[in-house]
Amino acid sequence: MTPLQSTPEWVATAPAIVLALTGLALLLIDTIDPDSTNNGLLAGTATLGALAAGGIAGWFLIGGTGMESTGGAISLYGDALVVDGMSLFFTLIFTSVAAMVSVASYDYLADQRYQGEFYALVLFAATGMTLMGMSNSLATVFVSLELASLPSYALVAFLKEDRGSIEAGLKYFLIGALSSAVFAFGISLVFAVTGSLVLPEIAASLAEGTELVGVLGLGVLMIAGGFAFKTASVPFHFWAPEAYEGAPAPVSAFLSSASKAAGFVVAFRVFTVAFPLGTVTSIGGGSVDWSLLFALLAVVTMTLGNFAAATQQNVKRMLAYSSIGHAGYALIGLAAITVDGGAANGDVLGASMAHLFVYGFMNTGAFLFIAMVEKWGLGRTFEDYNGIASKAPIAAAAMTVFMFSLAGLPPFGGFFSKYALFFSAIESGFWWLAAVGAVNSALSLFYYSRVVKAMWIEEPSANLEIGSQPVGMYVAIVFAAVGTVLLLPGSQPVIETAQTVAAALF
Amino acid sequence: MAGILDFAPAIVLLPFLSFLIALGAGRYMPKGGALAGIGATAGSFVLSIATFFAVSGGQTYNQHIYTWATGAGDAVSLDFGLLIDPLSSMMLVIVTLVAVLVHIFSLGYMNDEGETGLPRYYAGLGLFTASMLAFVVSSNLLMAFMFFELVGLCSYLLIGFWFRQQGPPSAAKKAFLVTRFGDYFFLIGVVAVFATFGSAAFAGPEAFPVLAEEALHGEHAVNTFLGMGEQAWFTVVGLLVLGGVVGKSAQFPLHTWLPDAMEGPTPVSALIHAATMVAAGVYLVARMYGFYALTPTTLGIIALVGGFTALFAATMGVVKKEIKQVLAYSTISQYGYMMLGLGVGGYVASTFHLLTHAFFKALLFLGAGAVIIAMHHNENMWDMGGLKEKMPVTYYAFLSGSLALAGIVPFAGFWSKDEILYEALNHGLGTDGGLGTVFLIAYAMGLIAVFFTGFYTFRMVFLTFHGEPRSETARDPHGFGWNVKFPLAVLGVLAAVTGLVNMAPVEDLTGIHLTFLHDWLDGGISSLTAHHYLEVLESGVGAGLHPAGIGSIAPGLVSLALALAGAGLAYRLYNVPEPVEHTDKLGSIKTVLYNNYYQDEYQVWIATGVVQPISRALDKFDQGIVDGVVNGVSSVSLFAGGRVKRIQTGVVSNYAALLTLGLTALLLGLGLLGGWFA
Repeated sequence: MTPLQSTPEWVATAPAIVLALTGLALLLIDTIDPDSTNNGLLAGTATLGALAAGGIAGWFLIGGTGMESTGGAISLYGDALVVDGMSLFFTLIFTSVAAMVSVASYDYLADQRYQGEFYALVLFAATGMTLMGMSNSLATVFVSLELASLPSYALVAFLKEDRGSIEAGLKYFLIGALSSAVFAFGISLVFAVTGSLVLPEIAASLAEGTELVGVLGLGVLMIAGGFAFKTASVPFHFWAPEAYEGAPAPVSAFLSSASKAAGFVVAFRVFTVAFPLGTVTSIGGGSVDWSLLFALLAVVTMTLGNFAAATQQNVKRMLAYSSIGHAGYALIGLAAITVDGGAANGDVLGASMAHLFVYGFMNTGAFLFIAMVEKWGLGRTFEDYNGIASKAPIAAAAMTVFMFSLAGLPPFGGFFSKYALFFSAIESGFWWLAAVGAVNSALSLFYYSRVVKAMWIEEPSANLEIGSQPVGMYVAIVFAAVGTVLLLPGSQPVIETAQTVAAALF
Repeated sequence: MAGILDFAPAIVLLPFLSFLIALGAGRYMPKGGALAGIGATAGSFVLSIATFFAVSGGQTYNQHIYTWATGAGDAVSLDFGLLIDPLSSMMLVIVTLVAVLVHIFSLGYMNDEGETGLPRYYAGLGLFTASMLAFVVSSNLLMAFMFFELVGLCSYLLIGFWFRQQGPPSAAKKAFLVTRFGDYFFLIGVVAVFATFGSAAFAGPEAFPVLAEEALHGEHAVNTFLGMGEQAWFTVVGLLVLGGVVGKSAQFPLHTWLPDAMEGPTPVSALIHAATMVAAGVYLVARMYGFYALTPTTLGIIALVGGFTALFAATMGVVKKEIKQVLAYSTISQYGYMMLGLGVGGYVASTFHLLTHAFFKALLFLGAGAVIIAMHHNENMWDMGGLKEKMPVTYYAFLSGSLALAGIVPFAGFWSKDEILYEALNHGLGTDGGLGTVFLIAYAMGLIAVFFTGFYTFRMVFLTFHGEPRSETARDPHGFGWNVKFPLAVLGVLAAVTGLVNMAPVEDLTGIHLTFLHDWLDGGISSLTAHHYLEVLESGVGAGLHPAGIGSIAPGLVSLALALAGAGLAYRLYNVPEPVEHTDKLGSIKTVLYNNYYQDEYQVWIATGVVQPISRALDKFDQGIVDGVVNGVSSVSLFAGGRVKRIQTGVVSNYAALLTLGLTALLLGLGLLGGWFA
């Protein structure tokens, strides 16, 4: 029984609709009372909207909407959108991150103006990300990607009085514009070769063969570049450290968790559906081996991210680089796909999705902890974190969970997802990729544990004072920590769902 | 299979609960958490009794509880489980009874004496009891090992209870390290059992003793290593596990920790010696006796080690001045007897001695504790004397325990020790070849030790309780309450009557069936019965033992005569109003005995002369090569990280340039590989 048996098919896009409507409602509230500082109402509306969208996505996921059990993916609007297990799975990530960010922003924005716009922008970006997950045509991919990006630029530059925030927003926007140009050009080249923008039709056209393998290759590479920008992968990563550092910390959390996941979901769909590896690796006398491309990017991205993170003095910047490193891990999902992989392809892609799911909790939580430290007015370096545990043990314990989970230590969620990812990479024959990942994880433990050491072991400086106990942030952080811990015992359903919905792509 | 045995896990969990309570809330409770401990152990005791009766009704329980790891392809699974059969249910009763009495006695010894840190003390007792109980009911060797280690940890914590003084921490460390040395071999043995059989269960379809037996019959193959045959490999595995047993049960040459462990509180000594730590070793051999019964070499070694330890420790006990030191050496000696019994195929006899010894040794330690309270914590027997009139309850209880220890009919120790010696002689005379000779040598050592046991036991009794008081405190001893007297009374009765459960010589004499313990240990799971063990021992694939079929009355009379001779000599020398030290007559032997045969000295030499240089060399390797590599990797990483950081210049046009260059490089690389430019 599908929940949608008697309802029209467009209802399947309900999560995106709910998010968009919530965004509009926030604008409406803000229009009625532009000078309102009723932060609670705004944050509450945003959180409720995100939770409602997430709840619907979860309900669909359990009910099997768009999955094989109820007749396969639901295709809408001339195949421009598709609702299937993967899009719902990622919607769950986006909405849970958006909800946590909204709750935490209640305290972070307490003294700021333009609160209504902030929440509306978050929800519009989330709408864009949800649509990215559903996009089934390069046109909708591009539009939804921009719908996610444009609010993000504004959000990064949200602190108008803060030079860092403005600078970060501008850099992000400039690199974003360049990447979008590259991406759009890539789309046009692929259209030139295949004559279609709809992903399955591109695949069908490619199956008939083409002489223009060079043009196709350039187009595929440029499309990959567009996604690399969104996921902050080398060499499109330059914006990330600056933007994450300069942006308000909840926005950093949102971008580094949800936006990154959105880049991955769209990359997963485009590359597996439009450019099946078996077709494009032997086409027109040439080969467009994007699996090799992603393997290369994965190795460089995780190595660069982790090595740069190891030498940072600023915790927020360290997390920014660690976020690049995690993009490298997630890229293994695409890199380890093989022509005759069969079920192993679904396994490794699903493991990558599961890692992004866990990452959504632990990374958001870590950035929200930074937001709380900023709220307390402490500094940003490791030394400034000395002895925080003596003043705020619960928050410090949650941060410890995030750090160890990011490093991939048991008994936290990050352990299971990294383990599943490396294990399925080995199953697919990419043991060297798993080995590079394992070495990088070992290195990452060094800088993650520096935070833990500073908080618990180092002596606090004499004038360490923390001000208020922001309730919203505590709620969000504790929620993220509980999620991170529970995802270890709860790993089985997550990984199974992820691998089932991933297998549906092949 | 329902009923009371389903509550078996509670026997273990109750003391663990009392550990948690004492640890978490002990300081807020009256008596520092003692009442929780008494309640928990009493509850366990009641459940153990119920279990005991359920088992006597023919029920057994071999239940898998939790699998905490499985190997690749389910080749090996690591489980927690409970095994309740006659042996373990008997041990449960012993452990819980002694634990209850020790808890009650501690009220007098610790609380009434105004000790501090009581919650820590009762938490330790609770965890100690719980670990031992879990060890007793373990259904497989790995679980047994884990709780064996936990028992060792608890004894470390409790021996070092007075950690602010100088002696106890050092003694605790010694106990921990020496037993750890043995456990190292045990751990290898556990791994070897898994590698050989793929299972370490004691009972059930995959019991490794049964698998070993079938392998020797050639019914199926097992993995052996180092190119050995099955029999030889099983001997190696048996000896590895025996390493842990020798450490825990304080057998030669790893017995040196036990006398030092007297630095701990006396009730703890009672618990360690009677029911937990030291008993764990012998119990382990009994638990996997089906395996040991297959390897005659191991049995011979067990018998020799046991016989030698029995004699060797008894001689050292003769010259000690402190009452607890005498008891410590008596413990080593008595566990030597149990090992001797197990080695010569006397499974029932050894288990019997484990039972009787638990009661009379707990009694003697608690009695010594009472004396120590009375003497204001002076343990030197030469300062005592004449305490008989001042503390009659203690005296008669202590006397009952001493008669049992010395092996005087009809007290408990006589029956069990006599049966061990009888088995040794019977199997020694009957078995052909070298093994029979080994058994006879072990028997001879055990028999001589009987004389020394009688002597040192009554030397202790006479010096402590008889004659004239030799110090001010002995003339006016400190009083104590019911919480000291009650445990003594209970154990005093038990020490007198426990032997009646298995009166083999009387059965021989009268023909009335009196060997109830034999019947008891013959029940339960078929591969764990005394009957089965005997079949294995006498079969061709096993040790090939044969009883000579001699009567049990004459050997019994011989050992009784020796015990009486020892006691009589002590009576002559020390039951006088003003006893004097006779040790000078021993000449140079005295020095050797005082120094415990220089056992400590040579072990210290091994530690400093052999182990330390090796450790230094390994440390050099670790510091120089391992750390060097690790440090090198980290400095390379940090250096590379610093370089990577420089790419991030902060200038956005640099980023755009690098981005474009990166894309171009990728285009060139992939394009050349993929033939895009063709």
